[in-house]
Amino acid sequence: MSKKSHQLPEEAAKKHAQLNTRRLFLQQCGLGVASMAIGSVLGGCGGNTSVNSTNEIVKKITNNLPHFAPKAKSVIFLHMAGAPSQLELFDYKPALAKLHGQECPTSLIAGKKFAFIRGVPTMLGPQANFQQRGQSGAWVSDLLPHLAEVADEITFLKAIHTDQFNHAPAQLLMHTGGARLGRPSMGSWVTYGLGSENENLPGFMVLTSGGYNPDAGKQVWGSGFLPSVYQGVQCRTKGDPVLYLSDPKGMNRDIRKASIDAINQVNKLTHQEFQDPETLARIAQYEMAFRMQIAVPEVMNIKDEPDYIHKMYGTQIGQSSFANNVLLARKLVEKGVRFVQLFDWGWDTHGVSSDTALDIGLVDKCRATDQPVAALLKDLKQRGLLEETLVVWAGEFGRTPMQENRNGVGQSFMGRDHHTDAFTIWMAGGGIKKGYTHGATDELGYNAVSGAQSIFDVQATILNQLGFDHEKFTYQFQGRPFRLTDVEGEVIREVIS
Amino acid sequence: MLISTTKRIPKWILIGSILCSSLFVLNQCSLNNSPKIDFNTQVKPILNKHCIHCHGGVKQSGGLSMMTREKLLTPTDDGKPAIIPGSPSSSEFIRRLTAEDEEERMPFEESSLAKKEIDILTQWVKEGAEWGLHWAYQPVEKVDIPTVTETALGVVDNDSKQVWGNNDIDRFIFKKLKENELTPSKMADKRAILRRVSLDLIGLPAPKEIANQFLTSNQSDAYEKLIDQLLALPAYGEKWASMWLDLARYADTKGFERDAGRDIYAYRDYVIKAFNQDLPYDQFITEQLAGDLLPNPTDAQYIATGFHRNTTTNDEGGTNNEEYRVAAVVDRVNTTGTAILGTTFACIQCHGHPYDPFEHAEYYQMMTFFNNTRDEDTHKDYPLLRMYRPTDSLKLIELTNWVKNVESEERANEIKHFLKTWQPTINSIDTDSLVNAALYDTKYLGFRQNGQAIIRNVTLTGKTKLIIKVLNVRKGGQFSIRINGFNGSEIAKYQFFKNKLDQPFLEIPLTKTVGKHDLYLQYKNPLQQNPNAMDFRMDWFYFTKDFPGENDDENASYQKQYWELMQTNPSTTLITLENPAERSRTTAVFDRGNWQTLKEEVAPMTPKVLNPFPENAPKSRLGLAQWITDKKNPLTARTMVNRLWEQLFGQGLVKTVEDLGTQGDAPTHPKLLDWLAYQYMNDFGWSTKRLLKEMVLSATYQQATNVSEELLLKDPYNELYSRGARVRLSAEQIRDQALAISGLLSPKMYGPPVMPHQPEGVWSTPYNNSSWQLSEGSDKYRRAIYTYMKRSAPYPIMETFDVATRDVCSARRIRTNTPLQALVTLNDEGYMEAAKHFAERIKAELAGDSKAQIQYGYALALGREIDERRLTVFEQLYQTSLVDFQKDADAAKNITEGLIIKEDLAETAAMIIVANAIMNLDEFMMK
Repeated sequence: MSKKSHQLPEEAAKKHAQLNTRRLFLQQCGLGVASMAIGSVLGGCGGNTSVNSTNEIVKKITNNLPHFAPKAKSVIFLHMAGAPSQLELFDYKPALAKLHGQECPTSLIAGKKFAFIRGVPTMLGPQANFQQRGQSGAWVSDLLPHLAEVADEITFLKAIHTDQFNHAPAQLLMHTGGARLGRPSMGSWVTYGLGSENENLPGFMVLTSGGYNPDAGKQVWGSGFLPSVYQGVQCRTKGDPVLYLSDPKGMNRDIRKASIDAINQVNKLTHQEFQDPETLARIAQYEMAFRMQIAVPEVMNIKDEPDYIHKMYGTQIGQSSFANNVLLARKLVEKGVRFVQLFDWGWDTHGVSSDTALDIGLVDKCRATDQPVAALLKDLKQRGLLEETLVVWAGEFGRTPMQENRNGVGQSFMGRDHHTDAFTIWMAGGGIKKGYTHGATDELGYNAVSGAQSIFDVQATILNQLGFDHEKFTYQFQGRPFRLTDVEGEVIREVIS
Repeated sequence: MLISTTKRIPKWILIGSILCSSLFVLNQCSLNNSPKIDFNTQVKPILNKHCIHCHGGVKQSGGLSMMTREKLLTPTDDGKPAIIPGSPSSSEFIRRLTAEDEEERMPFEESSLAKKEIDILTQWVKEGAEWGLHWAYQPVEKVDIPTVTETALGVVDNDSKQVWGNNDIDRFIFKKLKENELTPSKMADKRAILRRVSLDLIGLPAPKEIANQFLTSNQSDAYEKLIDQLLALPAYGEKWASMWLDLARYADTKGFERDAGRDIYAYRDYVIKAFNQDLPYDQFITEQLAGDLLPNPTDAQYIATGFHRNTTTNDEGGTNNEEYRVAAVVDRVNTTGTAILGTTFACIQCHGHPYDPFEHAEYYQMMTFFNNTRDEDTHKDYPLLRMYRPTDSLKLIELTNWVKNVESEERANEIKHFLKTWQPTINSIDTDSLVNAALYDTKYLGFRQNGQAIIRNVTLTGKTKLIIKVLNVRKGGQFSIRINGFNGSEIAKYQFFKNKLDQPFLEIPLTKTVGKHDLYLQYKNPLQQNPNAMDFRMDWFYFTKDFPGENDDENASYQKQYWELMQTNPSTTLITLENPAERSRTTAVFDRGNWQTLKEEVAPMTPKVLNPFPENAPKSRLGLAQWITDKKNPLTARTMVNRLWEQLFGQGLVKTVEDLGTQGDAPTHPKLLDWLAYQYMNDFGWSTKRLLKEMVLSATYQQATNVSEELLLKDPYNELYSRGARVRLSAEQIRDQALAISGLLSPKMYGPPVMPHQPEGVWSTPYNNSSWQLSEGSDKYRRAIYTYMKRSAPYPIMETFDVATRDVCSARRIRTNTPLQALVTLNDEGYMEAAKHFAERIKAELAGDSKAQIQYGYALALGREIDERRLTVFEQLYQTSLVDFQKDADAAKNITEGLIIKEDLAETAAMIIVANAIMNLDEFMMK
């Protein structure tokens, strides 16, 4: 490819800039040329904090985004799909142990709706041993020995509440700000606003493990009503790392290069003929596609990581696992990817089978995820990346202090139903306090007694760390400005360092 | 001159470029001499932008609302009205705009309005502060076609023959171009027009004969003939249905979590057929909203009601069915607004509309029309239309004829309706007070030992039989139904002697009972030792009469036929049916949009700012359809006309095709929009084909797409239509075009969705074992509209090329241009397969050297001759590749895999590389 050609996106953006008023630009950002110059692959709608001539131009004609100096440059969101039990992991309730096996007081269930509990269930004591960890003295159970070691890096939010008690809607609420289908996901919003720092990689990438996609489907990384260029790009550990990345069977790199060169030579003739800036954009995209074919497999390859890193994360080359995904997440943010989302399926511990039992299935899930998550925090820290990377760990809701009793009949294993009123999530890095706990629940872990925060508050806080005022970060759709946090949300100032 | 521009300069130009704002300054100088201030174009935009956020339909700071004139003239918290019409000096509204004190000055905590804006508002108050209804809510009136003088039309085309302009559309366009000192572009080359109009009308390159006829004809009506031929092709319906399916949020799965499959493709086929038959738009709308309420509905009319059954349903364990039923109803109101009325009702779900004159309660009055349908988020998506195979259809006709004879037409219709829909039945999810019973998997009522449940409000008068759709039973089980409590009088009982029934239905005789009752269901089984075992599980209940013709000789054989028909498994499709009167629901306003906090009850009605509800129209979905398709409805025709224009020209006359309200964009050519809408409803009789024909016949449509520096400066977005529309093809067009030129395209129409090439591992949905199974034979080469659409994991190529995910109504696809799209067309197996067959076709149809073959292939793909420079590029690519493939026989073998050609593999392989490159050209992706 000619040296000159990399200037094309700039030229296209300049042309575009000349033609655009601010209003039209904001309205149409993502349309045609705009999307090319500033889609998730190059930069966001609002420009970019890195010095990049294309984005500098863009910046002059748009609202300056971010709204203020960001604390975090990127986000790694670790979603444990199915909703882990806070009562076995972080929210230690000795009083609950004393009530184990007793009928649930009617005061707890009167007027409440549960996903599966029917009639009067029994109370279920904690199924794990707890200790206070580090200097901060945060409670972390023995199921997470590695995480316990880095408790002093973390802020635990112990009184998060949601209003959705089914997986798909709750996951949608968590990631799109709405419990129904159709809204853009958090990563889409962020790349729409900030773009990527690496022009050869998408700004929003997704990795899944646990055997299935999240319950809410791909909509949790969809772009909703934002242009499709902002949707999350799923990285796969089997087949092409990104769909359609490899050349067709029988086509070698030289031929591919020759063919893209030919395509672009003709496209340049087409541009001479029609003068359509969109053609310039297409030329740039083909070059970028060619570069992605190299850059993506490179970043997705963990072979060259040193042994101590593999030991640290518990990764095994060639396997599909949560651990491998976590290591990849680190590599991606290191390369400048803005938003990395991991979904690990299989945390729905109802106790209907051994793999959903608190003392079997949950233990296995913890064993598979604890070490890599702790390694991620240590690794980011040793690379000096933790301060600029916000790591969030969460499920879509929590679990009841009662034993689940599906259909009004007892279960053969110990398990808990979905619980929306109070559960634990944690955040680390990215300007969040170290070794801090925010919020608390009552002695059964059922209701918040302090520091109650909604899902919208969590979203507002994440956006805040990236430099967005969540109330001002909007997109006009269907006659009104939409935002990730709908009409709610307050930044949780207490957890910001 | 300047004076007249004040009024004439439309809004779009005021918000445009620097050039335009200087015009605005000029306007100011002449304000005092100008005609009366126009509320809609001059005042309302200022109020909307700066005031209404705090003084509107949601917030009314200081007790001031600017939603209507009445509200604005109502005393505020200060005790007097903000505006005294005719007297700016005594109007607080004006005083506050210029107040020195920042605490007082409005807009609050923002910079003050520009002087010109204050001048406009002051002058407006002085002139009496008259109000105006937003343009889109005013009825569509007959519009005078602009007179354009001969000299104005004195632009000659390429052949220096004709003056510019083919029809009335061009007069509107030309007038505005002239006002902006622009001339239209020359007409596009004949071949370019052929490609453009074919892709637009049928979504495919024109069939060879039709194309040749057009290209070789010198007759003046050759183009019109071409259009008529294209519009008559069945491919036309397949092209235009896509647009409608985005609005209808059509998909082949239910949406949430396990996202199970759903058969509603009959609706998709209905839409294709409706376009092909050119079903008048008013009828098209009526059938979709209320086909079931038409007299003696046809199957097609029932199928059409699938429009509002495309809402998502939630199968997830533990979901509240009523919550998702309500969500679906809400979605129907919003979709009706966005898709058909170009209006955003979604805002008023929670509060009064912040900008448009719709009130909170009006949302629920609209919702009332939709709130009485049978569907209630059941697992099986009831109600369904059972579409019997021909032999069974004949049996059904025989049976109903016999019933008509032995009993009555009414009874015959009742039986027919039940066999075709399994309605009206009561779903097992509608039972309550369950004891030793549960909705298993949160779907089906199941009894354990000593189980109990209640069905509410069943009218038993005249009912003698209960039919239950059964899932499982247990030997020894005893089932009974009582009225007046679990110890009341027994009206039915049944005992199971086996572990399995002969048929999945149970028929239980009922003791004759009069009136409406709660039914007390009980179950016990002396043989069952395990109290936790679930013995007896069911789906629905149907209360009916004895089978007719008791004394007729043929009673037994028809009764057998009846049960057989009940049990067959024909293909089905989701339909809308109304609840029987006895189970009708009431509708109340939701407090701040929350379905669980209800306020006052409301009756069905349409928003009062729009046309009146037609006299004598029923207050049902049918009446609603009559109101929507009433020629007095200001939105219906404008919305559709604008949408069709957008499909052809790449943008609407109102760009926000989803919102013609005050927050949408102003029309660039308001008179043209109204003229088209009026023609559509009147002269064209709601014929969509006729309207499209008018649009593509225009000279405006046929312009060349070349841009110049001057055009980019004066008309950067082609909003004046100073050139032809150069727009990227849709996902469907890209796939279909590739299949067409390669010769792979299957002409098969309709039926279950198909699965073309998709990489492994895209589907990975929890609790769902279904997988992507590559369709066999030519089924994998069918048009994109037949591709399986899974909501939680859409076909990735379609998603990459901006197809809406069909979760909710989507009125507009935002076109993007991304490297992921390049990767698809460069590497996708299916797209590559088309390139292979395209190369094979080129070689088979034209013997000769590679240059000639490339020339031929380019012409096939682009419909035009290749120029020397392009030819050189591709010939070089061919030669480079050829050398490579001659060296690497394995590579040549791999890339030609699947083709019939077995000789000259290197040559074929090299031609495949060229074919793939041609199919990736900008000109190939654009129209």
